[in-house]
Amino acid sequence: MPPKRKNSTIIQVEDVGMDVDAEFDSGSEDEARRRIKNRRAKSQRKAKQAIEEEDEEDEDKGNKQRTTRRGAKSSKKKSDKEGSNDESEREKESRKTRGKAVTKTQKNQQNKDKTENAKGKVEESKDKKNKKQSSSPDLPSSDSEDEEDQLSEGEIEALKEQVEEKKKVIATLRNKPWRMKKRLIILKEAQEFVEKFEGALGKGKGRKLYAFKVMMAKKIIKFKRDFENFKTACIPWERKIKEVESHFGSSVASYFLFLRWMYGLNLILFGLIFGLVVLPEVMMGLPYGSIPRKTVPRDEQPTAMDYSVLFDFGGYAKYSFMFYGYYNNERTIGVLKFRLPLSYLLTGVGIFGYSLMVVIRMMARNSNEGGDGGDEGQFTFSWKMFTSWDFLIGNPETADNKYASITTSFKESIVDEKENQKDENVHLRRFLRVLANLMILCCLGGSGYLIYFVVKRSQDFAKLDPKSLTWFQKNEVEFVMSLLGLVCPPLFEAIAELEDYHPRIALKWQLGRIFALFLGNLYTFLFALFDEVNAKMQDEKAVKNATEWAFHEYYANYSSFYNTTLVPPLNIPPADVVRGPCWETAVGIEFVKLTVSDVQVTFLTILVGDFARALIVRFLNYCWCWDLEAGFPSYAEFDISGNVLGLVFNQGMIWMGVFYAPGLMGVNVLRLLTSMYFQCWAVMSSNVPHERVFKASRSNNFYMALLLLVLFLSLLPVIYSIMTLPPSFDCGPFSGQDRMFDVVLETINQDLPAFIGNILTYASNPGLIMPAILLMVLAIYYLNTVSKGYQQANTDLKKKMQMARDEEKNRRNNKDSTNQMMKDLEDLLPDKSLIKPRVEDKPPSDAIPEKGSKSTKMKPGTAGVNLHKEVSLASPNPRGPVSRGPGPRGAPPRNAMGPGPGPGPGRGRGRGAPPRR
Amino acid sequence: PVSAAHLLRLHERFDFLDKDGRGHLRPEDFEEIRELTENPIGGRIIAAFFPPEKERLDFPSFVRILAHFRPIGKNRSRDRAQPEQANSRTGKLKFAFELYDQDRDGKISREELLQVLRAMLGLQVTEEQLRSIAERAVQEADIDGDGAISFDEFKKVKKKEPQGLKPAEKTNFCHVWFLRSHWRKWTWSTR
Repeated sequence: MPPKRKNSTIIQVEDVGMDVDAEFDSGSEDEARRRIKNRRAKSQRKAKQAIEEEDEEDEDKGNKQRTTRRGAKSSKKKSDKEGSNDESEREKESRKTRGKAVTKTQKNQQNKDKTENAKGKVEESKDKKNKKQSSSPDLPSSDSEDEEDQLSEGEIEALKEQVEEKKKVIATLRNKPWRMKKRLIILKEAQEFVEKFEGALGKGKGRKLYAFKVMMAKKIIKFKRDFENFKTACIPWERKIKEVESHFGSSVASYFLFLRWMYGLNLILFGLIFGLVVLPEVMMGLPYGSIPRKTVPRDEQPTAMDYSVLFDFGGYAKYSFMFYGYYNNERTIGVLKFRLPLSYLLTGVGIFGYSLMVVIRMMARNSNEGGDGGDEGQFTFSWKMFTSWDFLIGNPETADNKYASITTSFKESIVDEKENQKDENVHLRRFLRVLANLMILCCLGGSGYLIYFVVKRSQDFAKLDPKSLTWFQKNEVEFVMSLLGLVCPPLFEAIAELEDYHPRIALKWQLGRIFALFLGNLYTFLFALFDEVNAKMQDEKAVKNATEWAFHEYYANYSSFYNTTLVPPLNIPPADVVRGPCWETAVGIEFVKLTVSDVQVTFLTILVGDFARALIVRFLNYCWCWDLEAGFPSYAEFDISGNVLGLVFNQGMIWMGVFYAPGLMGVNVLRLLTSMYFQCWAVMSSNVPHERVFKASRSNNFYMALLLLVLFLSLLPVIYSIMTLPPSFDCGPFSGQDRMFDVVLETINQDLPAFIGNILTYASNPGLIMPAILLMVLAIYYLNTVSKGYQQANTDLKKKMQMARDEEKNRRNNKDSTNQMMKDLEDLLPDKSLIKPRVEDKPPSDAIPEKGSKSTKMKPGTAGVNLHKEVSLASPNPRGPVSRGPGPRGAPPRNAMGPGPGPGPGRGRGRGAPPRR
Repeated sequence: PVSAAHLLRLHERFDFLDKDGRGHLRPEDFEEIRELTENPIGGRIIAAFFPPEKERLDFPSFVRILAHFRPIGKNRSRDRAQPEQANSRTGKLKFAFELYDQDRDGKISREELLQVLRAMLGLQVTEEQLRSIAERAVQEADIDGDGAISFDEFKKVKKKEPQGLKPAEKTNFCHVWFLRSHWRKWTWSTR
């Protein structure tokens, strides 16, 4: 670094030091000179230090030694000089010891930095001392909040004083006429204080320890901050979602947040099922091809690797670990004696348990956060305007995003605000809403009946010969279902226009209605599935009887032929064994197929409905008769309700199917992952924001409620099949049992001590279960009542706050609208005129006095102009505010008795509609 | 008001901004900072550094302005005696307030709000909507009913704690925090 620059640095820094301090410097000539000298020495040293740090050369050792020596000298000199001031003898002592300590540590080459630090502290404290003596009124003396946290001299003084004080308190506590409790408290406080700060006041080791502590504390704080940043950076897709949110509003973002949450949940479920079921079977179970259930049958083998077969999850896929049938029914596998069947069952049930718990906990936490409440909307607009910009944005792209998000948030607030101010014919609105609900009920009922009818018909068709049916008759159910799914949601949306709800509420209604429609879908699917299962079970029974009979024959023949009871087991290659249809695997395949086709349909819809449409609108617009962008096709909006429901129902399918197809969870994780990226891209590239962007809370409980409902619905069939249906005899982990649940009973009977079995028998006694349920009902009732009480109290308090705010505003605006009694009281107040000037004397701006004076001069004009423009908004009371300075809130107004204008229209937030021009 | 170490860092920053080594800064130098050029009211922030009718800023004044940006300490109990420091809450708010108060009459009028809104929202929102927003903002914050936001009212607005935000998010939203983060940035980062 060139020396010239260094010099200029010194001069300038020095300059500032003088400048900043000199304004108020009233100290002696001598002091000033000394200070300058210090400054110069210090700045030189500092500059050198900086250079050293930057260059990182080896010779800094010598340099430092020199500087430190000088530093020691100066500090000593200083301490002497300080001593010449009128300071106590003790003070001097401590200072000297400190100086000694400093020099001692200087010799210690290992902790150079600390030495520097300590020296700096001495320097610093010196300066501070000077400043304090010069009694600058405007400048703060303490520096404790600096990042360096160097203790200034003044602070050390103060600290020392305090410590002494506390010590004195401890010594004399016995004589104080206080109660014992108070004494104990004070004693404890004083002791803690002394303990904490004695170290800071330089008693050899204690000081070092203190410095170390401070350093560590700072390091920890910094580390914590870094860690927070790191944590934020680790949240997946946070940036993507923020980007979407800034352009499309929180309502669209809420879908993506939901998607992300679902992904997390599924990841955990995937870990559970993969770790406890799939992995043990693959690692420790018998390999592929060893037993019939793990082998592709002979007649399927030629086509088992065909793409079309694999795509339908036949062939090798069907006999892989993805499906229920692959798992063996050995009680324990591997060296670890892993109980796979039990683990399979418990994991299957545990997934439901865990999901239930997580969903409910999430809902509880969301409702704790309490979304739209508090004093939301107190200063919405002004607050947004003043504070929404993030001042650290330096990147143009980020700035664009921020602009978009600010605009969006303003739009959201406008929508909310408009909704608040809506006041029209209440009866008409009510009538329309009832009408709309009637119509939608009709729609739902009609579609429900249609589904029922079609399913009935298809059952009739199923009994006929499949060759005599037309294509339409075969696919009638699917056709009707997809037609309903296509027509109904837009129809509902059109009908919802009648209701004219706030878009947030409208979305909820829409979600609920489409949910009801989709339930029909679910119903048909399950109906068809159970039919299939029943058919498969009939088949299976026949196959089972046939095999048993064949075995019996074989044994009988063998023993009669060879005349021996020692029959060797039949040796057939596993591919040739006759086997049943294995209904569980069939169900699993249905679910996987459904999921995959759902993914395809969703992605295709996005590609065609959004992306292609956007392309056409964008590029055909150059050569078209009308404006495509503004006119008919336009760009698509993001369909929140459809997407959310798709996600919810898909998850229901997963929950139902995962018991029969453990691999389904992996498919779903992949699906969610791709759909996150794909939909984010699609939204940003080819959708436009909603016309009425509305604010949705970040954590949407309504989605969660839907999810909970679906979870419950999907729980029922699975539990039913576990508890009652007989599992297939030749595939899956429960083969050979009457019911799947028996595996638990078996474990209880065989592996657990007898008394646990007894306990469980007692616990399952109806005499115990009934009171337990009763107790739970009572608890629910009680908690419900309590929470209602809290809610009531909450709303009351909110109301009170609102009232207080309004009251105050009114008191400021026009006096007449306030309480009559308060007015009387104000009249009676004798020293009204005395209070007023005192309040006004306090200048509103101490920092810049000349501006403050100007402000009072300028006020009348602006106030007058604005008021005259907004007569209906604020009360026409120009004289009041002009004469009054912007004093504190509670100051009694001067013109309390004056002829106030009539009650202003701008009274309540909701009532006083500002004129919108 | 500022420790020596800070002074040094600030000086480094000053030198860095002062490309030609003139010893003073001009508005053009500030425009090199991207954070300020991206800011809708960045121009005003720059203007706040310069006293009226002056085009250059020397280091002492630079430091004096930046003193506003210093964080408020936690253990302020002993310093309550001195009411007006540059980096006190009021001082900071005053600084922010004057960013909006362009004609320096001690009040943020509707027109001044509209200017800010135009800068912030731009063409996305119609003029009519801008007007109604400014209207609402004034109406909300206006306590004494003079149709403009005075400093006291401004303070009250800022006092409102952001609702439903995590503490980490909160920091982005307040001017006071902004000043603080800038202070940290400018004192910590050397280059």
